[in-house]
Amino acid sequence: MQTKILLDEGEMPKRWYNIQADLPTPMDPPLHPATGKPAVPDDLRHIFPMELIRQEMSTERYTDIPEEVRDILTLWRPSPLYRAKKLEAALKTPAKIYFKWEGVSPPGSHKPNTAIPQAYYNREEGIERLATETGAGQWGSSLAFATGLFDMECTVYMVRSSYDQKPYRKSMMQVYGAECIPSPSEKTRSGQAILDRDPDTPGSLGIAISEAVEDAAAHENTNYALGSVLNHVCLHQTIIGQEAQQQLATVDTYPDVVIGCVGGGTNFAGLSFPFAGAKMTGKHPETDIVAVEPAACPTLTKGLYAYDFGDVAGLTPLMRMFTLGHDFVPPAIHAGGLRYHGASPLVSRLVQDGVVRPVAYRQNEVFEAAVLFARTEGIVVAPEAAHAVKAAVDEAIKCRETGEEKTILFNNSGHGNFDFSSYEAYFAGMLVDYEYPAELIKESLSRLPVTG
Amino acid sequence: MTTVGFLVNPIAGMGGAVALAGTDGQSAEALRRGAVPRAADRAVQALSALPGQDVEWCTCAAPMGEDVLAAAGIDHYTVLYRPAVPTGAADTKAACRAFLAAGVDLVVFCGGDRTARDVFDAVGREVPILGIPAGVKMYSAVFAVNPAAAADLIHRAGEVPCRDSEVMDVDEEAYRSGRLTARLYGYACVPYIAERTQGGKQVFEQQDEERAKNDIAAFIAEIMIPDALYIIGAGSTTARIMERLGLLPTLLGVDAVRNGEVVARNADERTLLTLLDEHPRAKIVVSPIGAQGFVLGRGNQQISPAVIRKAGLQNLIVVATPGKLAATPLLYVDSGDVALDREVGDSLQVVSGYRIAQRKRIVHPE
Repeated sequence: MQTKILLDEGEMPKRWYNIQADLPTPMDPPLHPATGKPAVPDDLRHIFPMELIRQEMSTERYTDIPEEVRDILTLWRPSPLYRAKKLEAALKTPAKIYFKWEGVSPPGSHKPNTAIPQAYYNREEGIERLATETGAGQWGSSLAFATGLFDMECTVYMVRSSYDQKPYRKSMMQVYGAECIPSPSEKTRSGQAILDRDPDTPGSLGIAISEAVEDAAAHENTNYALGSVLNHVCLHQTIIGQEAQQQLATVDTYPDVVIGCVGGGTNFAGLSFPFAGAKMTGKHPETDIVAVEPAACPTLTKGLYAYDFGDVAGLTPLMRMFTLGHDFVPPAIHAGGLRYHGASPLVSRLVQDGVVRPVAYRQNEVFEAAVLFARTEGIVVAPEAAHAVKAAVDEAIKCRETGEEKTILFNNSGHGNFDFSSYEAYFAGMLVDYEYPAELIKESLSRLPVTG
Repeated sequence: MTTVGFLVNPIAGMGGAVALAGTDGQSAEALRRGAVPRAADRAVQALSALPGQDVEWCTCAAPMGEDVLAAAGIDHYTVLYRPAVPTGAADTKAACRAFLAAGVDLVVFCGGDRTARDVFDAVGREVPILGIPAGVKMYSAVFAVNPAAAADLIHRAGEVPCRDSEVMDVDEEAYRSGRLTARLYGYACVPYIAERTQGGKQVFEQQDEERAKNDIAAFIAEIMIPDALYIIGAGSTTARIMERLGLLPTLLGVDAVRNGEVVARNADERTLLTLLDEHPRAKIVVSPIGAQGFVLGRGNQQISPAVIRKAGLQNLIVVATPGKLAATPLLYVDSGDVALDREVGDSLQVVSGYRIAQRKRIVHPE
């Protein structure tokens, strides 16, 4: 029985898979925030390159991965697929547990899968500098890595509380040559306005987005880059799921259950969309595709499927997605990457259509699973990835109870080597089991913008 | 330099070891049963742990303070009050008045719930108070968790913020006969070091109590349903909800609100039952009260089992600040109706912010 299933570099997928081609009906369009009318490519030109706008709106099933991008991806891709034999043994489960290990990328997560092509397309269109935001720092360090490879400049607005709490992520960005600024900052009008009101604010992703967008709009040579939520980001991540399909095929296996964690939704999309496409087109209709989110921010399990803004300030186009309301500021859970009020419109659509099944877990049970995983498979996973581990463990335990020999596949999206303080808090019994008071809120999601 | 008024209730805590459930009026009986005064030892522990000598001490003579300071190696102090022996509540209050007259910045006392009440009677909210725990019962939230924590708080009293902390009035006669009647007596101002988790020198959560109360109030105000009856109280967290609605709260009691107007102020159980007859669609908003984190049965006994059953347990909304929840990792219910307590279950959702809640374990006292 093989532990690692590896592909040669030449076997790395040459195309990204666009799930929009296999949806039974088209996606609802994003709406312009001012007019409420469907957004057109020109609405996005001042912050995104045209090729990414084309990919965002495309319904073509495949997009070729540029040769130069593929070359860079081979630094760590194809990523290994592992069989978690020791975890299976510890759980005494008849299930087979596989995981795709994305922590092998230089910055340590799945994020560079999209950072590299985003930097590439921007450079191709003459952009010299990218501005972005980062919460926990996974995305910021990935874009710093990517822009460095293309000789571009990069400015990362990092949520101030994370900037203070995760000094090594900030150092990593500096090593890659990016400028990392705690947000809110005095560099932008929106940051300054927040600081004037509340000099001690810990910041938020919503504020950092506003600063990065303002920076990009104010500089001719600068564009904005987003590490999650959007269709083109999901597209770039599908290299994960396509590799996994090839790897499982080498051992004549197809998963019964496919699992990923969801913040904005793109690492989940990356692994699951190729399998979701096969489910929708009838090739594998029985696959159970599970999206895992934190109970503190349960967008898919407790949110509304509605048009809402992507940011707190209401500057982005309106997107039809599951949302807890754009003014919702999630509590400070340790899985910082999962603290987002909305979710990718594509992932949302699949949940709405019943293709994907969402579940939510609380912090302590998630860390308990992560510790079990570390003690069996050796990898200390990021708190975000730990959500997927928890769901996989639960599925495997179900199999123990029913005797089913299911094949479970999950996306292990990144390592937790900068997250030991979170593990420390878990061991000290200091992790708070936040949850969203959904029953109380039912009647009060009235703050969603009215459209149509 | 902080000026601290320091007093010890020398008989506090004696009743516990000899099963007297409190020492109010029982010190002679406690001594007869072989109790040993222990408050002085607890106070010496705290004061010996003080890292510096940057405190100016005002105190009482002999066992009410002076002896403890001397035993802790503190030799510079001013004796402002000389009690009669045996000491009593009147001495505690008189000493506190002397401290206030001398302009102290903080009153530190060593005792239990009854001592806290006496200190609060005299000091009110004029200056912060802090208890070194030595009593039989400590339902009040004015105590440091242990003598070492008390030392830290005294040392940093000038620099750390204060927060409102419940002073509870426990009826010791009733307690000795097996009934616990704990009334919310008032809110003292107590120095407070925000709950924090140190991990790699990082502070994960440092909550601003006032901001948290405002967030909770904003959330509850937002989810209020027209025509429903809201039974709100007691305590400072629920009082903030009333203030958010533009209404005057009864800090130490329970109010009823409907459609943004007060329909009963400081309501008793009977009033609440009558209101529930008129308006069966109702929500009850309570907050854990006291140092132990009782959701029901302490300080809000107007919200009786009959009231809760009439409104429906599913309509109970519990609110608490993250700071309070961090200080009380387990919550308790002791409504007086064991079956109702069991129905609450083993965990409860507690609203702790704007659209934020925590799942907390419930412990059922045997």
